[in-house]
Amino acid sequence: MTHLEPDRLADSALGTDDPLTAAEQNHLAGCPECRDQLAELSRVAELSHHPEELAQVPADAIWRSVQGQLASPAPAPAITEVAAKLPPSPPNVSEPPPSSPTVTELPRRIPRPRPWLLMAAAAVVGLTIGIGVTTVAVRDQADVTSSTALNALPGQTGQGTAELVSDRGRPELRVQIDAPPTPDRYREVWLINTDGQRMYTLGVLPDDGRASYPVPPELAGQLEGFTIVDVSIEPYDGKPAHSRESQVRGTLPT
Amino acid sequence: MTPAHTGIVAETGPVRVSFAIDDARRDSEAVGEHAEWRTATEDELKVGFDQGLEACLREVFRRSAPLIYTIAYRALGSSTDGEEITQDVLVSAWRARASYQADKGSLSGWLIGIARHRIVDRQRARGRDLRLVQAVTKQTDVQTQPEALSTLVDRIVLTEEIGRLPHPRGTIIQLAFWEGRSYPQIAEQLDLPIGTVKSHARRALLHLRTQLAEVTS
Repeated sequence: MTHLEPDRLADSALGTDDPLTAAEQNHLAGCPECRDQLAELSRVAELSHHPEELAQVPADAIWRSVQGQLASPAPAPAITEVAAKLPPSPPNVSEPPPSSPTVTELPRRIPRPRPWLLMAAAAVVGLTIGIGVTTVAVRDQADVTSSTALNALPGQTGQGTAELVSDRGRPELRVQIDAPPTPDRYREVWLINTDGQRMYTLGVLPDDGRASYPVPPELAGQLEGFTIVDVSIEPYDGKPAHSRESQVRGTLPT
Repeated sequence: MTPAHTGIVAETGPVRVSFAIDDARRDSEAVGEHAEWRTATEDELKVGFDQGLEACLREVFRRSAPLIYTIAYRALGSSTDGEEITQDVLVSAWRARASYQADKGSLSGWLIGIARHRIVDRQRARGRDLRLVQAVTKQTDVQTQPEALSTLVDRIVLTEEIGRLPHPRGTIIQLAFWEGRSYPQIAEQLDLPIGTVKSHARRALLHLRTQLAEVTS
């Protein structure tokens, strides 16, 4: 039997008096795809029963603040913004478009980056390039030891994969996610123990969501329960700890 | 929804929803260049935003501020937080527009995503922290608070989308979902064949599903 028609799934989610036939129920029992669709429609129907009154937004006052903020000099750009402007820039970061005449009301003054910031930025670029080169160089010679899908946590979006590979005896973790970066944040890749308490950071994840990280052989060998691959969203707060806000996560099979 | 979530998502009974977006359409304040963007499609708006057109930012603000403000206001419980977060989201998005990837989702979805992060920051700053242990060990029931936030966001988005449905589809859904009428009752009240009523309800649900996915993923 082919998949259930969207209309029939909607009927079922709405609880109209057109119940699914025995054949349709049979199909549903054996088809995860249709069950997912039905679950999603049922969730939308359930949530739609509880309207949330839209608040009266003081739009004029907020708009004036927005204009005021944009008219004043922008704060010093985050390190990644500076990095994006330094040659060679990562391929995924596009230069800001040329300013159009209408923008004159909103000058975008980016202060000249300070020397220490440039140095920090250069380090970030170096790291990014280093990772890129590693990925390209070893792509064809490594064996995949184990892999997992990375799925979005509630309230987040995105998905991806993590592969633990062995490149001529050197273990590394390859992460590839398709999930939007957030302004003023960077992402970090972690190996977390199933006890939920111990963890290792593997490093920064570039905005294009692809990177490869060396893993200490002792850790990769037994994994010792460090099987949870976690991508966190980190503020630039100078704190090395996990922000406790994760974007995607998956568990490597042992 | 479990009772554990009610700390952030307060239950409300059927309410009369005022649609700030429609109200805003009637104001006479916006004139000139901005007015040209009022009828722009989401795709046209994306392009204008990406090119840094200020009139376009004004329109993005007009369309998204009620949603963002309501989400922040309801999640944090203060109009000051609501105002600051709405303002902050628009300013950050404008400054970071070069990193917005149009193919990765809708503009409003991106803005709501930024708002979510700001809200979580504030909640954290208030000391309502989460224990990572709990977040990691129970993968199916992780990050309770973000989940409640995401339920709140989904409900607000859906409320707004229901308000945008054309007549009689919108009326049918409001009667069925918000006022608990049966489909035969609605058919009688609106003097429509029962089959038509159900068909509208089905189409509406499928449409709402698509719109929600567009904004939240």
